[in-house]
Amino acid sequence: MNGWSRLSRVAELRTTRAGVERTFSYLIAGVRLGTVAQMIPAVNTGVATSPHASGYLACWIAAAVASVAVSVATLVRRRPLGAAAAAVDFALACTLLVLGPLVLEAGERFGTWVAYQPGYALSIIITASGVRSVALWGGGLLGVSASYLVYLGGELGGDMTSSAIGNILTYVVYALVARMLFGYIRRIAHDADASRARAAELARREEERRAQVMMHNGVAVMRLLTEPEGGLPRSRLIDLAEVELRRMRTYLRGRVPGGDESATAGGDGSGPSVALAAMIERACDRFADLSIDTLLDLGADLRLPAAQAEALERAFESLLLNVRVHARAAEVVVHLDQAEDRSWTLTVRDDGVGFDPGSVQAGVGLREVVVGELRRRGLDVRIESAVGEGTTVTIASGPEAAAGRVDGDAFVDEAA
Amino acid sequence: MRPAVAVVEDAALMRDSFSLLMPGLDVVAAVASVEELMDRRPVVDVVLLDLHLANLEQPDVRQGIAAVRALTGCGYRVCVYSQEERRFVLAACVAAGASGVVSKALPTDRAQQLFVEVASGGTVMPQSVVGILEVLVRRDCITLLSERQRQVLHGRARGLSYAQVARQLFVSESTLRGYWLDLTRSLSESLRSLTPSEIERALGLAPGDLLELWPADATDVKGWWRTARKPGPGR
Repeated sequence: MNGWSRLSRVAELRTTRAGVERTFSYLIAGVRLGTVAQMIPAVNTGVATSPHASGYLACWIAAAVASVAVSVATLVRRRPLGAAAAAVDFALACTLLVLGPLVLEAGERFGTWVAYQPGYALSIIITASGVRSVALWGGGLLGVSASYLVYLGGELGGDMTSSAIGNILTYVVYALVARMLFGYIRRIAHDADASRARAAELARREEERRAQVMMHNGVAVMRLLTEPEGGLPRSRLIDLAEVELRRMRTYLRGRVPGGDESATAGGDGSGPSVALAAMIERACDRFADLSIDTLLDLGADLRLPAAQAEALERAFESLLLNVRVHARAAEVVVHLDQAEDRSWTLTVRDDGVGFDPGSVQAGVGLREVVVGELRRRGLDVRIESAVGEGTTVTIASGPEAAAGRVDGDAFVDEAA
Repeated sequence: MRPAVAVVEDAALMRDSFSLLMPGLDVVAAVASVEELMDRRPVVDVVLLDLHLANLEQPDVRQGIAAVRALTGCGYRVCVYSQEERRFVLAACVAAGASGVVSKALPTDRAQQLFVEVASGGTVMPQSVVGILEVLVRRDCITLLSERQRQVLHGRARGLSYAQVARQLFVSESTLRGYWLDLTRSLSESLRSLTPSEIERALGLAPGDLLELWPADATDVKGWWRTARKPGPGR
């Protein structure tokens, strides 16, 4: 059960940089211990046939101990060994190859695990290719290849020449492939980490934006409520505050009105439609202190998906709050017009002080609650203003509405 | 030169303080009823008319649309000056021949400016009436001859200033004011020729919604402004 549990943990290794290094530690331990396992059955034969049995045994034990030590160390560290340990590993492989002719009987340097040195060297080439230093990796490969030539000695010119050349090429090819894989997998992990960090940052910004959108109008209302000489009846502000309070509660419960169709309109995103003219009338009632002319006859039949209407209502209230706080307007005209092709335009015009869009940076209200939110919903927003000439905000349906998809699910999904 | 005006207003305080509050106007006469004005027949540029004139002191005097019609019938330019806000009542005043409708809720400076505009031959239409006219034009109840007129109405119905509409149409502001004057005169005449049922159909109102607000013969209707029934928002 524990074995299965460990295996499942291996399968669930994370695709982060740390997870990849841990995976490398399993790979290295597997290759090195596997090599030792292949060496074990031939050790008795090797000792029996070696011209220097004690020397053979000492070299074998050194190789086995090094493999086990490297395996344990990498598993404990959860990552491959560093440059110094890799250098020692390469050096040991070279030493064992160079000593090979002394401890092996002539004619036994190919084809059996009695001559374990080439196989051991290959395991080091594979497992040490993850070392970050290119010089160390290249030097190690060169050293092992040169040591292998020493290992072959006088047998190089015999029948096994082709095998010897093949083995050297195997070292080179395996070293290249292993290094490429180590590098590539590390790069994937790096990119994955960067993507996750980017996604987290974007999610944070999105949440910040949603919070700004959600709270902006409420903050403006609270500010008006705290002004003792605001000149507005508190009952009107309290009505508005109650609307904002409901929105904030919904947000705190984890549902963003207008931002999460599944929460407001069922899982398929198809929500109930809202009569825009009635919604505008209700919103205007909450701003009875402003002199608002609502001309909605031309759009009296217009209905919008609930989520879109919610965003529009919030933006509309934000515009009226701006008029109330900043514009000092005598008159506000709200005009709704639906054309025969079902496209529609909502115009909010005030004759207040206006502003210079070139020199005034739009606040959260205009930037996020009005322009940002509505454009995310597929609506066009145009703001025209000049100092002393009032402000005109035109909100128009996108091309989808003109194509007769105002009530369609796709409109909401695409816009979102 | 200050325009000569006559004021028809049942509230004595308002009537008597007009010349003080609006020094830009030459108040030639300030009377309590249309009948009194018609007896005196002063020569003025415009008559500023309150819509609601009947009270305990003068219960049977003309008021509302009947008053507008009586004055325009005598050749006066009439500018309604009232607290009335119901858009169909205001539109009915325009249809009855009023050249302007100004709300008493406006600051006196602004109101005086609008009175001067009407006295000098201009028209002042409340935004709500402009909205009604736009609907009637869009629904082919009133026919506008030119595309330019439609564009001007389109801009003004959205509350755009003369300067803004002029920029959009690449004309000078004075030219646009001329367009607007011609247009409002034309629309007022067209509005006058419509029956309540035609307007009800165009605006999606229920049959009869406008009968009390828009009497065919206003002289026979008393208390027309007190109707509690409010026409729906239209279709």
